[in-house]
Amino acid sequence: MRVILDRLYAAALWLSAASFALIATLVLIQVLGRLTDRIARAIGAPPPGITIPSLAEIGGFLFLGGVFLGLAGTFAAGGHVRVTLLTRSLPEGASRWLGALVAAAAAGLAAFSTWSSWLQFLDSIKFNSVSFGMVKVPLAIPQGVMTLGLILLLIALIDAAVTLAKGGEPSYAANEAGEA
Amino acid sequence: MEIATLAPLLIVVLFATLAAGLWIGFALIAVGMVAMMAASSAPVTLVFATKVWGGLTIWDLTSLPMFIWMGEILVRSRLSSDMFEGLAPFTRRLPGRLLHVNVLGCALFAAVSGSSAATTATIGRMSVPELTKRGYDARMAIGTLAGSGTFGFLIPPSIILIVYGAATEQSIARLFLAGLVPGLMLACLFSGYIAIWSLFNRSKMPEPVASDDGKGTRAFLRLLPVVGLIVAVIGSIYAGIASPTEAAVIGVLGALILASATGAMSRAGFLDALRAATITTCMIAFILAGASFLTVAMGYTGIPRALAAWIGEMGLSPYALLAALTVFFVVMGMFLDGISIVVLTVSIILPMVTAAGIDPIWFGVFLVLVVEMSQITPPVGFNLFVLQKITGKDIITLAGYAAPFFGLLVLALAILSAFPQIALWLPGTMLTK
Repeated sequence: MRVILDRLYAAALWLSAASFALIATLVLIQVLGRLTDRIARAIGAPPPGITIPSLAEIGGFLFLGGVFLGLAGTFAAGGHVRVTLLTRSLPEGASRWLGALVAAAAAGLAAFSTWSSWLQFLDSIKFNSVSFGMVKVPLAIPQGVMTLGLILLLIALIDAAVTLAKGGEPSYAANEAGEA
Repeated sequence: MEIATLAPLLIVVLFATLAAGLWIGFALIAVGMVAMMAASSAPVTLVFATKVWGGLTIWDLTSLPMFIWMGEILVRSRLSSDMFEGLAPFTRRLPGRLLHVNVLGCALFAAVSGSSAATTATIGRMSVPELTKRGYDARMAIGTLAGSGTFGFLIPPSIILIVYGAATEQSIARLFLAGLVPGLMLACLFSGYIAIWSLFNRSKMPEPVASDDGKGTRAFLRLLPVVGLIVAVIGSIYAGIASPTEAAVIGVLGALILASATGAMSRAGFLDALRAATITTCMIAFILAGASFLTVAMGYTGIPRALAAWIGEMGLSPYALLAALTVFFVVMGMFLDGISIVVLTVSIILPMVTAAGIDPIWFGVFLVLVVEMSQITPPVGFNLFVLQKITGKDIITLAGYAAPFFGLLVLALAILSAFPQIALWLPGTMLTK
């Protein structure tokens, strides 16, 4: 179970990284395409006109998808910041229980976020919402990814709360030491 | 609920959740939920997803992972050692000698990195051991680094300014350019302080050593491509040829080529840099998501409007308002990180600032300076954490070393307030818009 969960968070984090890398690739193609057009015009050749349609919109969707897919992995890696000043000064037992409580509270908030995102996803399916640009992207796709990412974050938070309550140490603790 | 009871309640919720160690993005969501449930009958569940969606599907935000990635690649390159060796020959004749390498190196690295922590870590990894070995005063060697490391947020590209621009719908290109001159001014202030300090403390300075200039020259030549990269990235934004994201992607490509050419980039290093950039991006974007929701929730409560009206009635001059805000931010900055300060400000304080007739682009630069202060104030200051890892000294000692530079940041803030054109002149000369 431990191994499966850790791999799940890590895999989602790599998908997130891949979507950021994809943005970079698309933007690069766009820039190079514009550059080739200029060179072609300068030497009198017909510009090949390579562009990525609706890049601004699609880039925004990829960014959003990447961010939400990466939330759980970022959490497990201790990437999300918080103030640990007080909790670190508490005695071991109290600090553990406060940690479990905070993780549980965060799970509650994540459940609310997931639910909210799920409703938005259902609405987009119901009304067949698509984006405004030249390429009509069904909004349900990025919104579905957003919901999926939030579900993963919810799982990671419950995982952390349970681990702390059982007396274990969640993976983020090691990476947080000495930071805020 | 009345604002008079709701506002204190929200402050209590914010500080209680933060102090208990709730992750900052979640704390913002919690405050937003309480605010909405108390102040309006609008359906919280629907508002949340819509506002987070709207707040994050912004094209300009895609420059965030790109600039972070570019910095992460360069952090893993040979730049750190080249910076020290290449810049050292320039500083030999200045009073304070190699201490200026911290200022110059940080300013240069800040121009390819949007983060203060990355700037401090990259320059410090090389300069702290070298300066200590040569007998420089530890207080100054580390203090100059703590101060100069904060350039990362001011000199473009800047993660803080991307977040501010996305949250306030200001042009990120203009914000970047607005930060450039104040950044250079700050570098001059720091260098000036080093020079004056070294003239009054000759006994604490090590004996000058003649050194092999051939090595320095070669290292300096290796820095030239980085300078080229800086010019390409910032220049293309200034000239209006490229959007911030496009410039950032060129930056990533350039950084990859540079790092591979010096043999410092392996497959593992490439993936490691991408992973680190992803984690930082997700962390920041999650706080931004919480802030998008909080901003709308605060709108329902009417608190930002009431604050703005209250300031208006008091007839406070912009200077008095800025002075009051500075004190407030410094206190906040002792406990919160820079990005949280920015998003909280945007949610609550911005209407008040614009009502006082303060330019939002200028205020972005002001905010960055304040955030820089928060990086070097204990108990929570990210530059101090980085320095703690490099030097092994405790945070209070480090904050003491950084104190004179905190003072210089306050001075810079005063100069910037008296002469707003320092920030606003360069974006005004931009070729487009």
